[in-house]
Amino acid sequence: MAKVYLKQLLAGIAIAALLSGGISCRVVATSGDFYGSTTPPQRNILRYVNGDEPESLDPPVSAGQPEARIYLALYQGLVEYDPKTLNPIPALAERWDVNNDSSEFVFHMRRNARWSNGDPISAQDFVYSIRRGLAPVLASKNAYLAYAIAYAEAYNQRAVFVRDKETKTFLLEKHVADNASASTAAVSQKPIVSFGSEYDAGSTEPVADPDQRPDPGSDTAFHQFMHSPPRLTLPGGEDARTKLLAKNPKLQAAVEGKEFVPVSAEDIGVEAVDDYTVRISLSQPAPYFSGLLAHQLFRLAPRKIIEQYGDHWTEPEHIVTCGAFKLKAWLPYNELVVERDPMYWDAANVHLDEIHFFVTTDNPTSMNLYKVGEADAVLNHTVPNVWLDVIRSKKDYMDGAEAAIVYITMNVTKAPMDDVRVRRAFNMAIDKVNYAKSRRITKPLSAFTPEGMFVGYPQPKGEGFDPEQARKLLGEAGFPVTKSDGDFECKAFPAGQVEFIFNSNSSNKAMAEFMQAQWKQNLGITVPLRSMEFKTYMNARSKLEYNGFAIGIWGADYMDPFTFLGLFTTAVGVNGTGWYDLKYVAMLDQANRTLDHQQRYDLLAKAEKYLLDAQPLIPIETSSVNWLKKPYVKGMYPNAADLYPWKYVYIEREPSKWDYGVPSLAD
Amino acid sequence: MLRFIIRRLLITIPTILVVLTITWALVRLAPGNFYTSDKNIPPAIEKNIREKYGLDKPWYEQYRRTMWGIVRHFDFGTSLKYEGQSVNAIIARSLPVSATVGLLAYLLALAVGIVAGSMASLHPNSKRDYASMALAMLGISIPNFVLGPILVFIFSLTLYWLPPSRWNGFPSRNVILPVITLSGLYMAYIARLTRAGMLEVLRSDYIRTARAKGLSDSQVILRHALRGGLLPVVSYTGPALAFLVTGTVVVERIFVLPGLGNYFIQASLNRDEPLIIGIVAFIAITLLLMNLLVDIAYAFLDPRIRY
Repeated sequence: MAKVYLKQLLAGIAIAALLSGGISCRVVATSGDFYGSTTPPQRNILRYVNGDEPESLDPPVSAGQPEARIYLALYQGLVEYDPKTLNPIPALAERWDVNNDSSEFVFHMRRNARWSNGDPISAQDFVYSIRRGLAPVLASKNAYLAYAIAYAEAYNQRAVFVRDKETKTFLLEKHVADNASASTAAVSQKPIVSFGSEYDAGSTEPVADPDQRPDPGSDTAFHQFMHSPPRLTLPGGEDARTKLLAKNPKLQAAVEGKEFVPVSAEDIGVEAVDDYTVRISLSQPAPYFSGLLAHQLFRLAPRKIIEQYGDHWTEPEHIVTCGAFKLKAWLPYNELVVERDPMYWDAANVHLDEIHFFVTTDNPTSMNLYKVGEADAVLNHTVPNVWLDVIRSKKDYMDGAEAAIVYITMNVTKAPMDDVRVRRAFNMAIDKVNYAKSRRITKPLSAFTPEGMFVGYPQPKGEGFDPEQARKLLGEAGFPVTKSDGDFECKAFPAGQVEFIFNSNSSNKAMAEFMQAQWKQNLGITVPLRSMEFKTYMNARSKLEYNGFAIGIWGADYMDPFTFLGLFTTAVGVNGTGWYDLKYVAMLDQANRTLDHQQRYDLLAKAEKYLLDAQPLIPIETSSVNWLKKPYVKGMYPNAADLYPWKYVYIEREPSKWDYGVPSLAD
Repeated sequence: MLRFIIRRLLITIPTILVVLTITWALVRLAPGNFYTSDKNIPPAIEKNIREKYGLDKPWYEQYRRTMWGIVRHFDFGTSLKYEGQSVNAIIARSLPVSATVGLLAYLLALAVGIVAGSMASLHPNSKRDYASMALAMLGISIPNFVLGPILVFIFSLTLYWLPPSRWNGFPSRNVILPVITLSGLYMAYIARLTRAGMLEVLRSDYIRTARAKGLSDSQVILRHALRGGLLPVVSYTGPALAFLVTGTVVVERIFVLPGLGNYFIQASLNRDEPLIIGIVAFIAITLLLMNLLVDIAYAFLDPRIRY
């Protein structure tokens, strides 16, 4: 009797399992050429493994890559990334004009663009979005990207103008500057000589087609204000201001008896000249600026909805978007689904009906989803290093140069790394070619910009692998290297004082161990390694609370060498080395004022050489993209930033038209 | 009995407040902040963020604000990492996922474990006993982060039968592998505990009495032996249920389930203070309640125990 009972129970469990699952075999097409299934999804959708859970659907708020890819579907900016080169291509703006020193941009917007609720998109929407993105109360992590815009930094940092109480005139920068720098001011900050002439450069003879002629919009009072000499701004906080004034008696005297007026959103150099023209005035020349405008900080957010729902505007029932796709469902930590938006101005050319962004950060899990055909493409760097030998030969493996570099920072503010000879020695003692080989897919790097990324950029070369010279340099710095029993020794070097810090992950650990072995072998110095949890590590590095070495990784914010070289234009935070040289900053500024593209690249390269000579860092490698997409996914390219304008992506069901290999970035 | 329950519930409150205070302090002591990332932010922007979230206020002020919200309204605030999402809402939507998987695994473990354990105990030292106990030993020794990938490898990557990961609601094919993975260890434990408990009970006097009364085998086992034999299982499965339902981190990570455990890990890595405190509070409350339930269940199962 008891046994009958038990058997019934067992049978019940088995039936329940079958009912809940409905286990059934699926016919799956696989072939040895590709990794796993090559059966296209039944519906016209793309299932993409997107990495981390998105922090927010509010475009200026999040700084991460997973969010950036979702914003690419949901929101538009004035320009969009080219799917292959990532250069700016028209989006909300049909075309744009640049003034003579790249310090003022005029964007001409299309008239047929609409929000997902059908409202038209106008120039005022852009102005609102950028003012909101820079508002200190929004506290956007990306705000620094817009600091080139006149008074944007001042507004974002709650700075104040200084105004005379009676005459109501503002104190100008030139009134208190030590050396009159009026001659080097950007064109956008000089008084207008004759309106329109500031856009003349480049077109020597009149262009016949009126649509091709530069159109600076019309002159306005705001434009005049932009073109007047820059106003002085001071810190908004009482404490910081008092401290600054105490240090500078001349400033103190000039400010005496005057009132402080907060810099407001309306003071930012962004103007809706008319309903479809946006004029952006910068405080400095920035030839790369139009490329920056595809970034999420500059994508449009819906004013009406935000004012109505406040912080809750991104919830699925309220959200209004302006991209090729709109939000369909958001299941946190699982997936985010977007669907084609019929209101999009180019909806006829959007191929996919839906995109499913899957959340997973675990690489093997992502690879599994891909292999069984539950996902059609995975994000960059999902192929685990040890799998590469197998996966690389597959025809759905995506390979290509990436606009990202790996380097080692050195804290130049603490001995013994404060000696440039010591820093050079540590650089020259590393065999980067061999290291790149061991990493399988990266390229050795001797400079601070990714190799071969920017066409025509005369990238300088840093010092290569030369252990002999390295030992000599160490000797000159007072740390002689001796040889005993065939091994090098450097007894004078305080190895206990330095360490190599990195955030714990297997590839960083492998890298640190490689470097440690190289230094031991070539210099006889054993640098202790210290693995840290990510946030602890970032904290130590940015505050220079380490002595010796730390790992640095940087990916481009926009496709220009300046996105890398600009790291050392601030003394703290992202710099990570403590190396801050005003001459270097001036060199970069000079380059950015140069309108001629090639000449500017030459000047940037000169600055990069200067940086490499000072050696606050050791370049290690240029990263490589490594991800997978099914052969039937077309219009997705292994571009340098892992960003895909989704409207170009489609599912090809005819196997003869599939991608058999990496799709070319050239044509 | 009622007095016992009330007394236990009253002790729960200060216990939880202490747990939360310690959690709060630990999050504070951990280096880094919710906004630190590989793209380092300029100090001015950091200042904006700190002001926005009230991090510029003195610590006792921040502590008072956090605790007051919890004590007064049972409101844990909004997540720092996920803009505008309230902690209560995150728990409310991730708990069903963990609870579904956890409960299914619990039921599966109980059913299989008790059946296997009792069968083994009825024929001690038989082949069947050795086989099921060997399997149970295996189940205890194989951690779920090994079992999960093995199951995925067989049923997803090789046979293409079941999805390797992701949540697709209940019921769906996606729940099968996580539930089996999760129940493995508990199943094995329960089988062993049942066997041990049953063996002891079957030798006791009252079972002999029952048999002497002429009761059938099944009546002896189901009505008399199991009740006593399951006592160790009950004391084990109470807290086990609490852990299963509030999310098991490893399985949720392996199968990418949007459950409480996954959020807990992510919140700790993100230094998402309100979310960490909210989840800790929830787990602590569940655990304390489960322990209480176990004590009550004891009274029902064993007539000798009285409070």
